[in-house]
Amino acid sequence: MKRTVDVNIPLGPIHPCFKEPARLKCEAKGERIVAAEVELGYMKKGIERIMKGRPWQEVMFLAERVCGICSVIHNMVFIEAMEQISGITVPPRAAYLRVIANELDRMQSHLLANFSYCYTIEHETLGMYLLDLREQVMDELERLTGARVTCAYIIPGGVRCDIPRPDAELLQASLDRIERDLHRYSGMFAEGPMIALRSRGVGILTQEAAHRAHVVGPTARASGIAVDCRVNHPTYRHLGFVPVSRPDCDNFARIMVRFDEVFQSIGLIRKCLTDLPKGVIRGGGVCKAGETRYSGEAPRGELTYFIKSDEFGRIIEIQIQTPSIMNIEACCHEMIIGADSIADVTSTFVSADPCIACTER
Amino acid sequence: MGLSLVWYLKEFARTEWIKKFLFAKTAPLMTPSHFRGFPEPTGKTCQHALFCMMACPAPGAIEVVHAGDGWMPRIHKGHCIRCGLCVEACPNGVLKSGRILETMEREGTSLLFSFRIAIDLELCTGCGNCCTACPVNKGIDTQMGAGGHSSNDEVIMRVQKGDIVVIHEDKCTGCKTCEVSCPTGAIRIARILEGYQQPVQEGLQ
Repeated sequence: MKRTVDVNIPLGPIHPCFKEPARLKCEAKGERIVAAEVELGYMKKGIERIMKGRPWQEVMFLAERVCGICSVIHNMVFIEAMEQISGITVPPRAAYLRVIANELDRMQSHLLANFSYCYTIEHETLGMYLLDLREQVMDELERLTGARVTCAYIIPGGVRCDIPRPDAELLQASLDRIERDLHRYSGMFAEGPMIALRSRGVGILTQEAAHRAHVVGPTARASGIAVDCRVNHPTYRHLGFVPVSRPDCDNFARIMVRFDEVFQSIGLIRKCLTDLPKGVIRGGGVCKAGETRYSGEAPRGELTYFIKSDEFGRIIEIQIQTPSIMNIEACCHEMIIGADSIADVTSTFVSADPCIACTER
Repeated sequence: MGLSLVWYLKEFARTEWIKKFLFAKTAPLMTPSHFRGFPEPTGKTCQHALFCMMACPAPGAIEVVHAGDGWMPRIHKGHCIRCGLCVEACPNGVLKSGRILETMEREGTSLLFSFRIAIDLELCTGCGNCCTACPVNKGIDTQMGAGGHSSNDEVIMRVQKGDIVVIHEDKCTGCKTCEVSCPTGAIRIARILEGYQQPVQEGLQ
């Protein structure tokens, strides 16, 4: 069948709206998109190859550097996979502290994703408010772990340091402040008439299409699929975690799901701080030989590590499956098809929160 | 037009705002005390245990060098990733970074080390370079020859009938000199780390 294409529009790899390099090749009829393809491979690191032959204390730091925005979850999933191989049990206090670090990381990641959406639809005021809020979350992460991004907090058998009581009180106070501000900002987003014009009904990903494309994370939850790996995690199950989802399937729903999840994370951290059990934070344990597959919920969806280790606990084989690739494919083949203008292409692409660093690792 | 100008002036030309605009100072940028920076010496004497080098995940970030009469760890800042593992590994508290050292003392946390010698016999040619290069071997058997042969049973490893034999693995200090001297890359030192904490006293949490 012959297809009439007016113009081929390449977006990226360098584009002011994209956080990371990727190329979107759109075929447009007038300004309406009829087909699109994504081109990756601008920042391949080969980090899985570097990890081979190294013990956990080196791979842990490499795993964090797979992705700069969601580094804690990479650390957590890798270490918990090693614990599953070696049969190490985690002290309850350490398990709760892991959840606190992970949820703080999820908060900053979601706030950054929502910032870049607001920036893309040219609502820079709200974007900067959100970025300012993210900075406060980063400060809390720094107080807990000692570093803002590459925290290196989780080790086999526990965590590296405890949270002293004055710090826990400061974290509580900071959470109250963040929640108050976030209520205002999410209200601004939910009720802004111009934001609604740019977001509601744009970039529709129906539930059937989402199932077909195997999307994960907030993108799936905004299409009404309540899929979340945290429901299988023992500590989260203990905390009574229930995933949030919205049935609207558009850009607006994807951003609002992230706002909802930040509120949910605040609630989880508060619950952890009040229920924090007493006891040790490191149980000890040596990494052993074995093979496993372990999944955890990254801010963008399901993150899976396949690991094979030798008798000294060194990594022989490792494969990382990151969430963004499914979301990027779904975005190109489902969401932006039929977009009414080129301006909606970038905002729809950003609303799926693509993380190219994860995807190309 | 004129009215709106008056309204704007009344609304926005407030004295305190103008004062703030002209004279407000942002707080100076300060590194918080809990920030995990580059490791710095605390002034304690280095005992040449080398655990900092063994724990370091970044290649070539830390080395222990001669300083006057004794030894001192030297940090290469371009390679250091500021993970703080060297601070945790040092048994004598020579290095400090952020508040890791105080936290460790308060909570009784530490890292336990053990070293295992892993030799790939497919790659090993039995040249004996590793046995000769090993500083512990040299201390035990000063007569060890170029082929790695030794009649002393106390050495870590020696060459017997053309094959390398590891006798006392527990004496290995994990210095990795053998790794560097091996022409085929057959010998690797597995550094096994374990996070450990003494039981917590009541009242600290």
